[in-house]
Amino acid sequence: MNFKNIISVAFFGFIGGILRYLLGVWFDFNGTIIVNILGCFLLAFLTYFLLESETPASWITLGLGTGLIGSFTTFSSFCLDTVKITEIHAHTYLLIYLIISVVGGYLSTFFGMKLGRLSGRNIKRGNRM
Amino acid sequence: MIYFVGLGAALGSILRYLVTTAIKKKSQTIWPTATLLINLSGSFLLGMLYGLATIKVAYLIIGVGILGGFTTFSTMNTEILGLVRSRKCIYAWWYAGTSYLVGIALSFLGVILGNIIK
Repeated sequence: MNFKNIISVAFFGFIGGILRYLLGVWFDFNGTIIVNILGCFLLAFLTYFLLESETPASWITLGLGTGLIGSFTTFSSFCLDTVKITEIHAHTYLLIYLIISVVGGYLSTFFGMKLGRLSGRNIKRGNRM
Repeated sequence: MIYFVGLGAALGSILRYLVTTAIKKKSQTIWPTATLLINLSGSFLLGMLYGLATIKVAYLIIGVGILGGFTTFSTMNTEILGLVRSRKCIYAWWYAGTSYLVGIALSFLGVILGNIIK
């Protein structure tokens, strides 16, 4: 662990938090869904792209993954949202919210991984040529 | 106002990074202890903060900023997928189940506790 890593996580985490806040202001509960689904795709893409292309981990990739995307997505708001939606008795919406978040989150992670591996392999092949 | 959220999120991200590296250094298990601990504690605290019905600035800095940046949905899902890919499906189900069910329950409990304290 070094100072550069911490600064990178903080800087990108700052941006990720602001982006999440703005989407929350514009879309309310749906904002949480958007950040989480999008973030799952991006993190899986980045993780498996780096793995497959054998790109060494650096302070930039740490900042992007742990900082930007980690801060962009949120588990605590997801949990609190379900409590808030239950409080206003919007049962149908609660069901939709849960299914999209849980199933959609996993599926977008899966497709992010697929695309990340594919791109990673292509980059590696391109570098060798 | 927006910068307060950003600063909180930066702090939350650093905390998550430090907790994760510290736990991973100590124990090398297949069970993603660090993220689980972060997400469950963060969900409880956010619920409590919401229950306390604190002033808006405090909620934005601590809730949306620090706790929002501390907890993470994307890392959890990448870890679930990682467990499935390494053919540890039972672990994946347990990890996902514990995160979602206990997380929501703790959030609910936090709201009630916050309401009582208030």
